[in-house]
Amino acid sequence: MRIADIDLNRYSNQFSSYTELRLHENRVQSIALVNGDVVANTRDTSSGVSARVFDKGAWGFSSSPDFTNDAIEGAIAAATKNAAFLAGRTGDPKAILPHAMAKRSSDFTTKKPHLTQQEKIAFLKRIDDYVVKNCPDIVSRQVAMSCLDMEKKLRTSEGSDGHNINTRSIIVVRLTTRNDAGQPIELGVPFGSRGQFEDVFVSTEDIEAKVDELYRRLMDKKQAVKPISGYHDVILASDLAGILAHEAIGHTTEGDIVRAGSVAGDYLGKQVASELVTLVDFANTYEGETLPVPVYLDDEGVASQDAVLIEHGILKSFMHNKDSAQFFGMSLTGNARAFSYADEPLVRMRNTAILPGTSKLDEMIGSIDDGYLLMNPTNGQADSTSEFMFGVQMGYEIKNGKLGRAITDTTISGIAFDMLKEVTMLSDEMVWSCSGMCGKKQPMPVGMGGPSVKTRVFIGGE
Amino acid sequence: MSEREIAAQTLDVIVRNGFDKAACRVSTDELHELQAETGEINLFRTNFETEIGLVGIDRQRRASMSVNKTDEATIGEAVADLKTMAEGTDPDPAYDISPAQPHESFEGGIAEPDYDAMYDRIVELQRHVAASYPTLHIRSAAVTFARRRSCYLNSNDVGFQSSRGLYQVSVQFSSREGNDNSSMMYTGYSSYDLNTPVHESANVDMLLRQSTEQVKTEHIPGKFVGDLVIAPNCLRDFIGFLTMRIADGAMIAGTSVYKDKLGQQVASPKLTLHSMPLADDIASGYWVTGDGFKAQNSTIVDKGKLETYLLGLYGANKTGLARAVNSGGCYVVEPGAQSYADMIGDVEQGILITRFSGGRPNDRGDFSGVAKNSYYIKDGKLAYPIKETTVSGNMVELLQSIEAVSLERLNFGSAILPWVRVSGITAS
Repeated sequence: MRIADIDLNRYSNQFSSYTELRLHENRVQSIALVNGDVVANTRDTSSGVSARVFDKGAWGFSSSPDFTNDAIEGAIAAATKNAAFLAGRTGDPKAILPHAMAKRSSDFTTKKPHLTQQEKIAFLKRIDDYVVKNCPDIVSRQVAMSCLDMEKKLRTSEGSDGHNINTRSIIVVRLTTRNDAGQPIELGVPFGSRGQFEDVFVSTEDIEAKVDELYRRLMDKKQAVKPISGYHDVILASDLAGILAHEAIGHTTEGDIVRAGSVAGDYLGKQVASELVTLVDFANTYEGETLPVPVYLDDEGVASQDAVLIEHGILKSFMHNKDSAQFFGMSLTGNARAFSYADEPLVRMRNTAILPGTSKLDEMIGSIDDGYLLMNPTNGQADSTSEFMFGVQMGYEIKNGKLGRAITDTTISGIAFDMLKEVTMLSDEMVWSCSGMCGKKQPMPVGMGGPSVKTRVFIGGE
Repeated sequence: MSEREIAAQTLDVIVRNGFDKAACRVSTDELHELQAETGEINLFRTNFETEIGLVGIDRQRRASMSVNKTDEATIGEAVADLKTMAEGTDPDPAYDISPAQPHESFEGGIAEPDYDAMYDRIVELQRHVAASYPTLHIRSAAVTFARRRSCYLNSNDVGFQSSRGLYQVSVQFSSREGNDNSSMMYTGYSSYDLNTPVHESANVDMLLRQSTEQVKTEHIPGKFVGDLVIAPNCLRDFIGFLTMRIADGAMIAGTSVYKDKLGQQVASPKLTLHSMPLADDIASGYWVTGDGFKAQNSTIVDKGKLETYLLGLYGANKTGLARAVNSGGCYVVEPGAQSYADMIGDVEQGILITRFSGGRPNDRGDFSGVAKNSYYIKDGKLAYPIKETTVSGNMVELLQSIEAVSLERLNFGSAILPWVRVSGITAS
């Protein structure tokens, strides 16, 4: 049975307290080539129903992998019973949640005929062939595709409902060469965006151009030198600005994290960044453009709003679910999202970005006498103290305003609210990334964006 | 229907659709979770999940798929898609399924959750913290009962059934005094029972106490090269480089620094590392590998010497090397001869690291990252908790530089790990 065919309104008479009823299906397709061989050719579908019930401040949750009438009714009954179990022990009769009622639907599936797995493999093989023909100094190559469709249908006891299908398609190309000492040197880059494969990957030409750039950087990296550890003037390239917004600031301003003791709770209304910095968690749209992870209705039935976190350097607000909005007495932002049918909604970022400035990247590089240009992030982590870390797999020295030698992989870190005060230039470009997968109890696709940023950070190394 | 009946029917459909080799794994999961956030136990979750994993090989063309519905129509559609996917890919002689083995059933752990015990353990932890560590804030504490029933069948007449139920405990916390905050810390373990208070398990109480100390942190006096004492809580971050690079991905790609190192010294003689999915004291073990072999315990590194790669059937066929007798994980490090206290006492200058927030090491093993919830060690004593301190080095060299392994070990249910002291790490 398809989600589209199930009418959730018929179950609303079984809601005895505040209730969210959600049908949810994740569809993942993965193909991986290693040195031209297909090592993964798989498809995973996981779907089911969940109900979450609020009773005197306690939450009950239950899920089932079936879409049958019995399963849906059973999930509501079990969640209601679970909430009552806790309410009977820890319940607060005065506990309430903010009200929200919204109806929003969206569908980002392709209108084109679906390509077969064979056609998708052939597409990846064309990229692989391009690498073989045009990147002679490669000892190992990986081309991997991962496509995720996330379909949700929601009905709440407050009357919210919606049917939303988000999609994204990513291809990662990772190349390995060897340096003069025979050691492996690798570099990988994700390509892709919101949408299904048929809409995102129309031709290999765009990717081929990016493979050329990837290979050029990898050849630079063969001769890379280790960065000098310590605080340095840096340009964080636009692909790093997004992860900076997400890891360094975003996590510390999630309402549940603030409630749990994040330092951001002390800084509301205060100057936490240079006046150049405005940072927003966009719900779905920026300057008329639909963003990588568009959220119109969150999993608590709240119409998603942009959350302006920092405006001209002042910490303005936080991201919320119903619990945290109620606790702080703030407006709902619609940030509650669950990754799978078996997960409860948590406060999650959507499309978090630093807004661009007016500088040109060349003049930003030209303004640094001794520092680094950092690009190509890997993983990252945040802390409630606002201390952040993320990995950087590519970069260059900047000497006297000019790019110098490439540097080896490193890690950058700092205290976000200190580092943001050191921002002195922002480029006029805005680059969005769609490949982020945030980990906070559950995984979650996130969008990230920003310009190039001139600031000071701590660079790890010897 | 039982997991075995679903698996048998599904396998039959795969074979009838013309696949030369077929495998099916059916798992049903039951999860009951109590979770406390912001002081109250405020979430009670019960989940039921099903997963049917299908593998088909047709003229050495392989495809795999998972669905979570067991009805005939879903299975039929999935197998038809599997056929299309296999036809669309290239043949590879390395694809195979496990050979015939005696049918076996395995059972472990507990059958049912004890809600009262789950609830009481969380409340007990909250009361302990309130009484002993008033500046500490439990961000999240969860006790979960998880039971998985599983059946693996393949067309070579392999049949394994298993069932295991256990508790999983996780705690996240930080401390605050005035405007000073500690870094967030977390830990967790799995167990077949809840007989022991949470704070008395897996060194939780030491971490709670340390968190309250870590609201006041200092910079290290300056950049230095010294020792790193790695706590059991983050030892997996440091042995993970080895275990990842001897597994299928890096070995098939040919990028592993451990390629051609079998039988050679890859670590200090102080390190002996096992993978023990069958050990009685590993609650989160397994009996069957992902590719359908009965699992065995193994020694990966014996006194520093690499004894086995962690290759699955495909990786072994692809590289021409031996298949590992398990799927890795369940790591057990042999204890050393020195107590944790003596290990610290021997450090002239170094860092005790309890949480590593680091970038992914590159293929050569170079790493750097922030030492979180960590201490500066000077002249054999923990001097003070540190802030904004990066440690860097090379994972290959780090394992070679192990100088001591502690007598004491922590059992996390998924691993049994000691404190380990290494040298030559740059702290800055």
